Amino acid sequence: MFLMRFTERAYVAYSEEDVKNSFRSAVRLTFSNSHFNPDLGADLYHEYLDEYEYSDEIGFDGLMLNEHHNTPTCMGAAMNLEAAILARTTKQAKIILLGNPLPIFDNPVRLAEELAEIDMISRGRLVSGFVRGTGIESWATNTNPAHNRERFAEAHDLIIKTWTTPGPFRWEGKHYQFRVVNPFERPLQKPHPPVWIPGVGSPETIVWCAHHHYPYIYLETDPQVTLDLMAIYAKAAREVGYEPGPQNFGYLVRIHVQDTDEKAYKVGEGFLVGNAGVGRVPLPGDFMTPPGYNSREATKKLLEQYRHALRPDPLYGGVDAAGWEKVVESNRVIVGSPDTVIKKVRQVLSALRPGILGVWTNDGTISHKDTMRCLQLMEKEVLPALKEMGKEFNLPGPFEQAP
Amino acid sequence: MPTVEPHEQFIEVAGAQIHLLKGGQGKPLVIFHSVEGNLGWRSYHRQLAQDFTVYAPTLPGFGLSQRPPWLETFADLTRFSLWLVQELGLQKVSLLGHFIGGWLAAEVAVVCPQMIERLILVDAAGIQPQQGEIADIFLHGQEGTKRLVYFDPQQMPEYQELFGRKPTPEEREIQVQNQENAIRYCWKPYMYDRSLPWLLPRVHLPTLIVWGREDQIVPLECGELYRQAIPESRLAVIDRCGHCPPLEKPEEFTRLVREFLQGAS
Repeated sequence: MFLMRFTERAYVAYSEEDVKNSFRSAVRLTFSNSHFNPDLGADLYHEYLDEYEYSDEIGFDGLMLNEHHNTPTCMGAAMNLEAAILARTTKQAKIILLGNPLPIFDNPVRLAEELAEIDMISRGRLVSGFVRGTGIESWATNTNPAHNRERFAEAHDLIIKTWTTPGPFRWEGKHYQFRVVNPFERPLQKPHPPVWIPGVGSPETIVWCAHHHYPYIYLETDPQVTLDLMAIYAKAAREVGYEPGPQNFGYLVRIHVQDTDEKAYKVGEGFLVGNAGVGRVPLPGDFMTPPGYNSREATKKLLEQYRHALRPDPLYGGVDAAGWEKVVESNRVIVGSPDTVIKKVRQVLSALRPGILGVWTNDGTISHKDTMRCLQLMEKEVLPALKEMGKEFNLPGPFEQAP
Repeated sequence: MPTVEPHEQFIEVAGAQIHLLKGGQGKPLVIFHSVEGNLGWRSYHRQLAQDFTVYAPTLPGFGLSQRPPWLETFADLTRFSLWLVQELGLQKVSLLGHFIGGWLAAEVAVVCPQMIERLILVDAAGIQPQQGEIADIFLHGQEGTKRLVYFDPQQMPEYQELFGRKPTPEEREIQVQNQENAIRYCWKPYMYDRSLPWLLPRVHLPTLIVWGREDQIVPLECGELYRQAIPESRLAVIDRCGHCPPLEKPEEFTRLVREFLQGAS
């Protein structure tokens, strides 16, 4: 099993009132950057990079980064920069980018170049994930949401061709046109860095992913719903002639360890202001999914096809909206002493059988000090136990068995 | 008195089925709707249909009209609309458009002025204001935009009929589809064509520009810019009226339009 560590790198030095006073009371997109203090930002970037470097030292297999725009909930607005730093400063762990939001790039060839550099600087440790981005990414970069999926697919095809086909060649697509595609620097890994796709369950993406043999990482989806979504992947994989295994699936879950259950429960509550922001003020729905962002016809067709198999999330509104007690009870966030966490993760792994486990160690108001303690406890007790569990349950990751 | 109720039909344009309401008799008047799509045969249609044959097509991708897959941009929409008028079997028409429909009418007039007899632009998008901004209806969302559109919803005779109840799931689906379609055509640059003001001086057509004085979507300044750019135009401003004169002040609006169009006979 492949173990990767993640945090969204939150910024929380603002108030609920600040959010409520922003345009449409949104913590993302229109929340004024006048609330950002670059002095504090500088400290936070250093702390977050320190945490990732320590995660490399203590035996995580991967360091997972993500990217969002116009939001204090994730300081990774230029994720590839952080990846480039970690490519140089870490030694063992893979650098897992989940992922670059392809539709917002007007020049995917430049992105292919950046990723090739990261792959070489890391000496072949890059995993290049791609995402469509939330609607916020479309708003923030003024990318037409109606073209989101088309641009995702075309940019992906262009990047893969750039990495695998000797240049120069010409690209005349619907959304991208280039006279001379011939970036001189090519990735170290052959045929190209592995591609993994994270998401929260768009059936269209899952099917696309299965058809490409790309592992799909379920981002803290409800366990039962995750099983439904895995079935969609498996069906699509069989359609193109292969049987997927644990190596095709990843699961990201928030896991925070402290010396005692009580302390972990108290500190872990800081997760709740991670994704949702301080005050957990609900975002306008059309900010996250503007009209056109989801191709309605294709989505409707797929939902009809799989409606019988898809259950609604039992936590209404998901982790970001539910109460702390409910979230912990349902294992959507796992907190506790090392023993408690090991037991709870065991339940999740036995039920979902992912070959990749994303360990979201901290977020929101969880301090750097508490995070470092969490990582220390993980090194001594949790990571060795999880690795054993992976063997016990026979959960090969994508580097042990090709997806 | 001629009939003022419409006949509903579909016509084929560029392989797409286009929904059309047609009613009345007299010289042809083609009306291009705004971002919310074809709201049906409203009182201003009825009133104008007493003196003109009113054609109210649903633009491609909105409501019941299909969008050919190649139709992605406002320029595509302009060329498609020329074809649409051609398929109506009309040689020469008067053209009226509101907001993006007004923008479309202006673009059509620039490309093919010989097809048009008289032009009516109502709180039209299409020109970038020099001082203010065209409100970002996409960013404001549906509810936020609704608050900006009307100066006083109480004075709208058809308010209850249009907005007095919760939309059915089918109506909601069409609303989302219309929003998606408006986003597809108008996302960037948002609601204007940088070259349009430079091309409008070729439009030597009698042109009426109608604006609600309290328009909070497209500033009145844009009405003035249209007036300056189109040689034979005049600007009529309706007081105590927001972005949507055809719905908010239908009597005054249709009086202005009728008088202007009858000047052609």
